[in-house]
Amino acid sequence: MLHAEAWRPTVIRAPLNAISRRSPDPFERLFLQEYPKVVAIAYRVLADRPAAEDVAQEVFLKFHRSFSPDSERASGWLHAAAVHSALNVIRGERRRAQRETTHALDPSQPPEANPELLVEAADQRRQVRRALRRLPERTAAVLMLRYSGLSYAEVATALRIRVGNVGTLLRRAEDALRKEVNRATSS
Amino acid sequence: MAAADQAHYDGCLECKARFTRIAGEAGATGTLLAVPAFDADPAAALVLVQARIQRDEAARPPRWYERWIDRRTPRLRPLATPAIAVLLAAVLISGVAVTGLGGQLLRVFEPTRLVAVPVSPSSFPSSDVLLDYGQVKWLPAAPTAQPVADAATAHQLSGLPILVPASLPNGVSGPVTYGVVSHATGSLTFDAARLNASAVKAGVRVGPMPAAINGSTLVVNGGPALLEAWGLSGSSSQLQVPTLVIAQTRVPTVDSSGATTAQLEDYLLSQPGVPPDLAAQIKAVKDPSTTLPIPIPKGFATTETKTINGVQYLIIKAALGAGAVWVKDGVIYAVGGQLTPDQVLAIATSLH
Repeated sequence: MLHAEAWRPTVIRAPLNAISRRSPDPFERLFLQEYPKVVAIAYRVLADRPAAEDVAQEVFLKFHRSFSPDSERASGWLHAAAVHSALNVIRGERRRAQRETTHALDPSQPPEANPELLVEAADQRRQVRRALRRLPERTAAVLMLRYSGLSYAEVATALRIRVGNVGTLLRRAEDALRKEVNRATSS
Repeated sequence: MAAADQAHYDGCLECKARFTRIAGEAGATGTLLAVPAFDADPAAALVLVQARIQRDEAARPPRWYERWIDRRTPRLRPLATPAIAVLLAAVLISGVAVTGLGGQLLRVFEPTRLVAVPVSPSSFPSSDVLLDYGQVKWLPAAPTAQPVADAATAHQLSGLPILVPASLPNGVSGPVTYGVVSHATGSLTFDAARLNASAVKAGVRVGPMPAAINGSTLVVNGGPALLEAWGLSGSSSQLQVPTLVIAQTRVPTVDSSGATTAQLEDYLLSQPGVPPDLAAQIKAVKDPSTTLPIPIPKGFATTETKTINGVQYLIIKAALGAGAVWVKDGVIYAVGGQLTPDQVLAIATSLH
C-alpha cells in the first residue's frame, strides 16, 4: 500500500524540494548582486541607514513572495520598489517625525567632527526630504534613482520609460527639487 | 560622444555653455542629495532576509493540499494519519474485484481509467495521529526520489521517455529540472495487535479488524516515475511552485493474499477519518479493478473529461492553475501548472 505514495503528491514534492536545494541559489545570487543598489536607493531617499535597510529587506521579501529571481524584470522591479517604498516612508508623517528625531544628527560621523556643521547638514537633509515629499512621485523617483548611481538605462527600465526621456525628466526633476528646497528655505 | 559630435561641441560656445549649466545644476542637486557614506553588507542582510522568509513560511497556514499530505510526515513511514492512510488505501484497493484466495496472490488492481471523486477538505480531521496497521516490507528497498541533473540521466534511471510539449505557453520558460522516483515493491501485512496498540497509544478508537483481514497481505508494485518541472527558482527557503510540471509513472498494481475485495473495501473505508461521502463514492465506482479515483477538493477545483484521439483526459481546473491526468498504455500521465485548462490540454495532447 505504501507504494502508492510513489505516485502521490507526497513524493512528487520530494524531488522538487531536493532539486530546489541546488546551488548556487538564484535568489541568493540576485540578492547579493542587487542589494547594494536597492539599499543605496532607499538610503539616498531616507538619509537614514536603519530605515533604508528595513526598506530594502521588505522589498526583497515582497519580491521573493511574488516573483521568480530568474525574471528579466527582476532588477528593474527591485529598483522601482526600493524608490517607491522609500518615498512612501518619507511621506508617512508619523514615521517621518520619529526618524527626524532619531537621526537629526548622523551617528556615523566621527565625534570630533564640527558639531555646527553636523547640525547644519542634518537640517539640510531634513529640508531636502520635505521637498522630496512635495514632488510628484515620478519626478522624485527619477531623481533618486539617478542620484543613487543607476545608469540612464537602469532608470528607464525601473520606471518603464524610454531611455531617451530620462535626461529631460531628470533636468526637470532637478529644477523642481531646487525650487522646492528654496521655497522651504525662504518660507 | 561620437567624433562628429565632439568636433561640433569643441567649436560651439552655445553647447559648451549649456553643458556647463547642466553640469552645474547636477552638481548642486548632488550636493542637496548628498548623504553620509554607507557601506552595505549584502551577506549580513541576506542572512536577515532568509531568516524572515523562514519565519514567514513557518507561520503561514497550511494550504489545503498540505493538510492532506501532512508535510511533516516522512513519506515512507507505515501508514500516515488515518485519513490519509485510509484514503490512499481506499484508492488503491477500491479496485479489488477478485476474491483473494488464501496464500495466493491475485492481481486485484491495475488502473486503465480515471475518475474524479469530489471530497470536502474540511471533512478530513487535521490530526497527527499515527496508526500502525501492520508490517511493512520493501522488496528489496523503499522507493527513493532524487533530483537528476539532465534529461539523459532521467531517462536512463526511470526507463521512461523524456516528454516535450510542441510549444511552451507564455510564462513558462527557463531550464527544466528533473526528478526520478525509483521502481519498488512493497507489502503490508495487516496486524490487529499492532493496530490496537498504536490506537491505544494515540488515544483513538478503532473498530475490530476482521479476522479475514488480520494477517492478510497486500503487495503494491509501483513506479518508476519521472518528473519534469519548469519555473523552479532553486531557492531553498521557499515552497516551490513550478509553472509547469509533466509527470509520468507506470500504473501501480495491487495484489492481495487473503482478504476479499468487499472485506478490504468495507474495512478500510470505515476507518476513523474517512468522510462518509468519500467512502460512498469510492464504493460506487463502477469498475473498481481498473479505475483509479482521483480525489478532487470541493470548492478548490472542478473537473471535466475530454476525449481526444481515443484518450480520455481528466481536466482539473483550480483558481491558480489547471491540470490534466490521463492513462495510456500502462502509464499514468499528469500535466499541471499555473496555466489555463486550454493551455494544459494543448500541452497534454502535444507531448512527444
